[in-house]
Amino acid sequence: MMRGGGGGGPFGAHAVEEKLSRDDARRVMRRLARLLRPRRREIGFALFLLVAQTACLLAGPALVRYGIDHGLEDGNAANLNRAAVTYLVLAFVGAALGRAVIKAVARVGETFLRDLRDRVFRHLMSLGLDFFEREPTGRLVSRMTSDIDAMQELVAMGLVMFVQNGLIFLGAVTVIFLMSWKLALFTLVVVPPVMIASRWFRRESNRAYLEVRDAIGQNLSTLQEGLAGVRVVQAFGRERAVSRRFRGTNEAQYDAHLETVRISARYFPLVEFSGVAGTALIIGIGGWFVSRDIVTVGTVAAFVLYLNNLFEPVQQLSQLYNLVQQSGAALQKLFELLDTPTSIDERPGAVDLPATGALQVEHVTFGYADGAPVLLDVSLPVMPGERVALVGPTGAGKSTLAKLVARFYDPREGRVRFGGVDLRDATLRSLRERIVVVPQEGFLFAGTVRDNIRFGNADATDDDVDAAVAALGLTERFEALAEGLDTEVRERGSRLSAGERQLVSLARAALADPTLLVLDEATSNLDPGTEQTVEHALERLMEGRTVVVIAHRLTTAARADRIAVVDDGRLAEFGTHDELLTREGRYASLYAAWVAAPTSTTSGVADLQ
Amino acid sequence: MPPAEPPEPDKPGVDESGVDEPSGVDEPDVDQPDVDQPDVDREARRAGWRLMGETIRPQRWWVVTGVVAGLLWTGARVTVPLLAAGAIDNGILEGDEGTVVRYAIAIAIVGIVQAVCTGLRRYSAFRLSLRVTTNLRERLFTHLQRLHFAFHDEAQTGQLMARANSDLQQVQVVVVLLPLAAASLLTMLAVLVIILVKSLGLAVLVLVTLPFLNIAATRFTRRIQPVSLELQEELADLSGVVEESVAGVRAVKGFGAERLQAARLRHEADSVLDRALAAARLRAGFLPLVDLLPTLSLVAILWYGGHQVLNGDLELGYLVAFNSYVLMLIWPLRMMGMLLAQASRSSAAAGRVHEVLATEPAIVDVTGARTLPDGPGEIRFEGVRFSYGGVGGPPVLDGLDLVVRGGEAVALVGATGSGKTTVARLVPRFYDVDDGRVLLDGVDVRAVKVRTLRRSVGIVFEDTFLFSDSVRENIAFADPEAPLDEVERAARLAGADGFVANLPDGYDTVIGEHGFSLSGGQRQRLAIARAVLADPRVLILDDATSSVDPTKEHEIRSALREVMADRTTLIIAHRPATIALADRVVLLEGGRVVAEGRHEELLESSLRYRAVLAQAEAEADAVTAGTRADG
Repeated sequence: MMRGGGGGGPFGAHAVEEKLSRDDARRVMRRLARLLRPRRREIGFALFLLVAQTACLLAGPALVRYGIDHGLEDGNAANLNRAAVTYLVLAFVGAALGRAVIKAVARVGETFLRDLRDRVFRHLMSLGLDFFEREPTGRLVSRMTSDIDAMQELVAMGLVMFVQNGLIFLGAVTVIFLMSWKLALFTLVVVPPVMIASRWFRRESNRAYLEVRDAIGQNLSTLQEGLAGVRVVQAFGRERAVSRRFRGTNEAQYDAHLETVRISARYFPLVEFSGVAGTALIIGIGGWFVSRDIVTVGTVAAFVLYLNNLFEPVQQLSQLYNLVQQSGAALQKLFELLDTPTSIDERPGAVDLPATGALQVEHVTFGYADGAPVLLDVSLPVMPGERVALVGPTGAGKSTLAKLVARFYDPREGRVRFGGVDLRDATLRSLRERIVVVPQEGFLFAGTVRDNIRFGNADATDDDVDAAVAALGLTERFEALAEGLDTEVRERGSRLSAGERQLVSLARAALADPTLLVLDEATSNLDPGTEQTVEHALERLMEGRTVVVIAHRLTTAARADRIAVVDDGRLAEFGTHDELLTREGRYASLYAAWVAAPTSTTSGVADLQ
Repeated sequence: MPPAEPPEPDKPGVDESGVDEPSGVDEPDVDQPDVDQPDVDREARRAGWRLMGETIRPQRWWVVTGVVAGLLWTGARVTVPLLAAGAIDNGILEGDEGTVVRYAIAIAIVGIVQAVCTGLRRYSAFRLSLRVTTNLRERLFTHLQRLHFAFHDEAQTGQLMARANSDLQQVQVVVVLLPLAAASLLTMLAVLVIILVKSLGLAVLVLVTLPFLNIAATRFTRRIQPVSLELQEELADLSGVVEESVAGVRAVKGFGAERLQAARLRHEADSVLDRALAAARLRAGFLPLVDLLPTLSLVAILWYGGHQVLNGDLELGYLVAFNSYVLMLIWPLRMMGMLLAQASRSSAAAGRVHEVLATEPAIVDVTGARTLPDGPGEIRFEGVRFSYGGVGGPPVLDGLDLVVRGGEAVALVGATGSGKTTVARLVPRFYDVDDGRVLLDGVDVRAVKVRTLRRSVGIVFEDTFLFSDSVRENIAFADPEAPLDEVERAARLAGADGFVANLPDGYDTVIGEHGFSLSGGQRQRLAIARAVLADPRVLILDDATSSVDPTKEHEIRSALREVMADRTTLIIAHRPATIALADRVVLLEGGRVVAEGRHEELLESSLRYRAVLAQAEAEADAVTAGTRADG
């Protein structure tokens, strides 16, 4: 009930609220039709089956009419039998067709949804990091879940009924007009009030339903707060006051609910009365027509039976309308997502990055979206096999620079080259093969530890994984887990410590075996035992690779070949540890602050000696 | 003939909170089975029924109204086809226009009765069920507010929420269904009697096919439930992949694993497709049957009834009427199976609610409980033994003796699990001691009215809880009538006036989940203000300044001195500066006092004291380091 995420109020936005304008609806429909074009044969077939099934259904009263007029009235048992047998056959044919319809629609609809999921997700994954930083996670997830699930419901239950009810209504109207257009005109008098009432009912109940949801939300909040804060309530002896307050929201929920009951207590009587009034009309006027030989008794009977086929569809269509609208709204949101262009595209004629080479950041200026520049004219040459540490205060632009190096973003001005190739001209595949980013927190996915390591290279064999683990000297460490590398990682790795998650992340990188490694060093402290293991593994991982590391620890910076001090979006200083210390510039003062900071008592100072 | 019964309350649609499917979707209820609910035995079910019964009793007039309206409704409904039959047989076939018109008018009049009654019976049924659940929910909440700490320690908020929410929804569904089902069953009975009376052979033919509807519906529900559960699971797996890919997008991009994740999603999407198609196959087997079975009855009526008409054993009008009757039977038959399943689910739910309501509050006034006499606020623990699991659990306090003189400020210091918080919680009698006694101003706290005791003891909990209300309402929680200057004074004494003044709406700023969010230290200061406003005889600060930024703590400390001046104070703290507020320090270990004296004395004399403080400092540092590393 209390699902997080979603936008809007405490209990999320409600699909019922999301309505499409007429134009939007038309656009969505047109696009949907385009998407469905490859399946038009299957859809045509399903539609054909549906029409045939509806025809079988509608044949019933007509056969009753035939039986009465030509069997009973004429005293002809053979005709009666003929009508009954035909009815029986059509009943079974109709059932068989109904079965086929459900299967056919499910096949088309569910396959469509599968492809839609696939397509939307693939597009989502191809989008640049800027998109993910802009959009709240919850909203993106709900695109792929609740929005598509809304359509799942439509496909599973609603779609067949929606079309079928429409067909039944149209079919019944056609048939009664064919039987006797005069009596049909009188019969149809009762349909418009039901249509209007159904429309009113749908609107009113939607409105009231939203209020019910809000009231439930309010009441649940009070309830939840009353339970979570029960100790405080008792400590201050305020039980009665809090209970009184709960009564307020509880009664508000009752009132909101009762309003929906009132609405349906008005609607259903009208619908039922219309049905009976229809019967009265058909009997009264039909009887009058019979005595004037305008219609037969059988026709009157058939009309009475068809009445059901006029009323039910109107009611059901009105209710299904919500479901259809929700799905339309969901589709529109999905189309919007599909239309979002990716900021990191592969250029036509892109080339593979060379296996090795220097990294050159040349006069790069960059800012997020339309914001002020975060990096200003930064140039940074990194030699093959060199280890460069980026240091600087929070917000100076270190992380941004690292993201540009991995082409998570493209620079506004200037360029980033690897082995002489501008990253924007490189194939995305070779780019991700050569350059790997190890994020600050070891993020784990569902699956085993081994699956998570294989994340670095999907084609790797078990042996490759073992080798990567061994290369970092982590074999024993992972074997110590409950089931070694085959230990299931649950709930984003809550079973593993932060340090162990970091180790998995490093093994991942080792398996990916990149030329250039971009590291965002973890800031949080790990338990001392793991801390050392991480250090060792990291050292081995960096061996023989070009490394750009965002350093949060003094030791990491000091150990790098060269240090780049980023301050206020510019490259303030660049050189070796010793060079920068003697220069007595920003690095020297940062260094001094670092040594003096109280939190460095455990790691920083010890490492300095 | 009237249309088949409009969407009935199995999917009350708009009338029902938890159900958003459109009503009338032609499928029996395939609710999730109560997988995560503890098994409820028969006794609990019976208790559930009793609870529903006793809650319904005060609403009995609505039951009567609903049932009477249902009776009339049934009568009207069943009469319409009879009148139509009469019109055909006596009017149309005879060519008697006057009779036809009279019958038509009669039908319309009966239609009005039917319409009025259907409105009334639905209204009564839903109103009844809403009233019942609303009352039960209030009773549950009020009861939970009275239940002792030990109960809430055990119970999970989520579970209790489920009692008040989803369980009561189940109750609501069955209470709606009962009167409505009564009318439906009555309809069924009336129809059967009419068919039986008019044509025994036809009755047999109709009855042979229709019960299969019930059987098929039950079977279908049983078979589709596991499949839709599997489908739900697959959907959950799929959304798991989406969630982690979005949350871990940096890892995905960093390792170029977009394709890998896309393949995983495709795999999950295929599984969803597979299960969805399996569910569709089941539906394809069932739904056409729902249409087929009544149609077979209609065929039987046309054929057998037709021959009876030819033989002169049946009037033509009844042949038409029987068609209507068959349609009237569909609903009640399908509903019966559903009702049984729902009744079992609902009584189990009501049983769980009953279980909570049957739990007696453990901390209540004893007979002859007195108000607390005036006094300086002297606290005395005499040989107190206490364990959270009741007598026999691992002891937390093990023969504790402690005296805090009126007006004195004592700091309780000890390692985690030493019993400091327990001491704090025994004074306002959140728990009762297993052995020994706790005295406040010479009176055993168990002999005092709970309400007066707790009004005299103000406590600031370690984990601050504030309500989603304005700052002012939060501070004035103990006394909502308190004038603003008192609220401001309390805020000032808690060192909260500074930041409150800077809030967008000052004291009227709404805070909490849906309001302005405050830092941990700010929240703690409001909690202190709340306790100060109550002006208690004894003030207990349980680690109440732990989240306050050390650089700001001195502001509070001077104010706290003023607060503590004329009352007894128990302080649980780790920071030496906070401990220094106390006149005396008591070091607890293993549920006993192991050392006491002034802070400086203990620092000098007690190795254990130094160790405890050092340990606490290390832990605190780890926490602040963690919170600082957010850049």
